Amino acid sequence: MTDINLKIYRFNPEEESVGKFVEYKVPYVDGMVVLDAVRYVQEKIDPTLAIRWNCKAAKCGSCSAEINNRPSLMCKTRVDSIGNNISVAPMGAYPNIKDLVTDISANWSILKKIPPFTPKPGMEKPWRIHPADVERSKEFKKCIECFLCQDVCHVIREHNTKYFGPRHMVKAASMDMHPLDVLDRSEFLDNEGGIGFCNITKCCQDVCPEHIHITDNAIIQEKERAADLKYDPIAMIIKRRKSRKEKVVK
Amino acid sequence: MVENVTATKNTGETRKPLIPVELTEANWRFWSFILLALIAIYLMTEFQVPVVQGLTDPFYSPTILVLPLVAGFRATCYAYRKDYHRHLFNHPNACNIDVRKDFKGRKYTGETRLFRLENYHRYFWYTAVAILPFFYYDLYIAFTYQAGEFTLSLGALLLILNTLWVTIYTFSCHYFRHATGGNIDCYSCPVNKKSVRRGFFNKISAINHHHEMFAWISLASFFLVDLFIRGVAAGLSINPILLNFKW
Ligand code: SF4
Ligand code: SF4
Ligand code: FES
Repeated sequence: MTDINLKIYRFNPEEESVGKFVEYKVPYVDGMVVLDAVRYVQEKIDPTLAIRWNCKAAKCGSCSAEINNRPSLMCKTRVDSIGNNISVAPMGAYPNIKDLVTDISANWSILKKIPPFTPKPGMEKPWRIHPADVERSKEFKKCIECFLCQDVCHVIREHNTKYFGPRHMVKAASMDMHPLDVLDRSEFLDNEGGIGFCNITKCCQDVCPEHIHITDNAIIQEKERAADLKYDPIAMIIKRRKSRKEKVVK
Repeated sequence: MVENVTATKNTGETRKPLIPVELTEANWRFWSFILLALIAIYLMTEFQVPVVQGLTDPFYSPTILVLPLVAGFRATCYAYRKDYHRHLFNHPNACNIDVRKDFKGRKYTGETRLFRLENYHRYFWYTAVAILPFFYYDLYIAFTYQAGEFTLSLGALLLILNTLWVTIYTFSCHYFRHATGGNIDCYSCPVNKKSVRRGFFNKISAINHHHEMFAWISLASFFLVDLFIRGVAAGLSINPILLNFKW
């Protein structure tokens, strides 16, 4: 492959009010990922370029960006998979701090709102769990908090609602489906978390670098659980008659 | 492309109309879909299928009354929800940032307000299950319509496939997955209790994974088989007998 035409979004809040794309030429090296190309610019062409990255192994979730308009990890996107005209922009759902670095702190306050893991009282330690029973919860634990799912979700990005966003549905589901947790957060997610704003369009699932089935395994499951508690009169009667093992958070 | 807006403020829901904006917006995709549906209904009434051997086309008999149930089942199905929210309402049309046709400032209520009804999908699922036996009854008739004989015609073969797709579609439903075990957090509590239910849940999860594919295959097969039957009723000789024996 010849040189890469790399367009990087540059924005310096101290000097300008809107950012712009700047084009760089980067020599192609076999097997390189977009992060390599961006770092080449930072090291060899313009050291003022701000980027955030850590592991270069798709495990820390720091290098999220919009590569050719698709939210992706810079360290996991191979240049040979997308051709040599590449644009890199910061995540548009979050306020820009500088160049490719965004302020994702809104997520930390949402995470604090979700009722934490609450184990059943009086369990003997060490806790023993059948491996097959933690499988569902374990899928969600793979989340690396890259927030690409939040970035691509149209509810978060384009519409101003109270929806927590897919990452947070995954977080809540990881605890709700844990065999030793006693809380049921689904009604809380419907009332406070705005899960009703999610319209199952599955973009979050498409971009998740950990291939978590966010919509199918977390969101739809939580919606169905909320329907049991809030919408379906028959399920409500059945649930009320059974001595309820789980405490419902509203 | 990247604007410097202050990020997602969680300001909550303001007073929004009950009728979702999706149904009132000027959106050519949605309205051309409505137009096509109207044209289809017009054609159905204009070109009536004759009564054959005492059988009336369901479209002109009380059988049509099950249509809202079947339509409701599909309209509240998670697979189709994705499709119409994406492709009719453009919320968003695609995931890539530059081509999604959704934008800031456009009104949106998602599955709150009127679309909250989608939470009642399970009730439509119950009716869908109640309707399923009729498919099998039709199959039985298709094999045995000549007294004392077993007949396998091309049409009966198509009916088998159609019944199969509809059955798989119905039982790969997300609600059924939830009911079979999705709502259970621990199958083997206390530790190592044997659980048949987990195995069943895993099987349903496996077919649920392809629910969207079954949704579209079964819908297409539904229409094509219906077209085939209409063709037969209209007197076209497209239904060769493949196998026939007396019993
Ligand atoms: S499925 Fe729901 S959470 Fe995921 S991107 Fe679509 S609206 Fe957002
Ligand atoms: S769920 Fe996937 S896309 Fe979302 S933050 Fe976690 S790893 Fe990233
Ligand atoms: S640098 Fe850690 S995920 Fe990309």
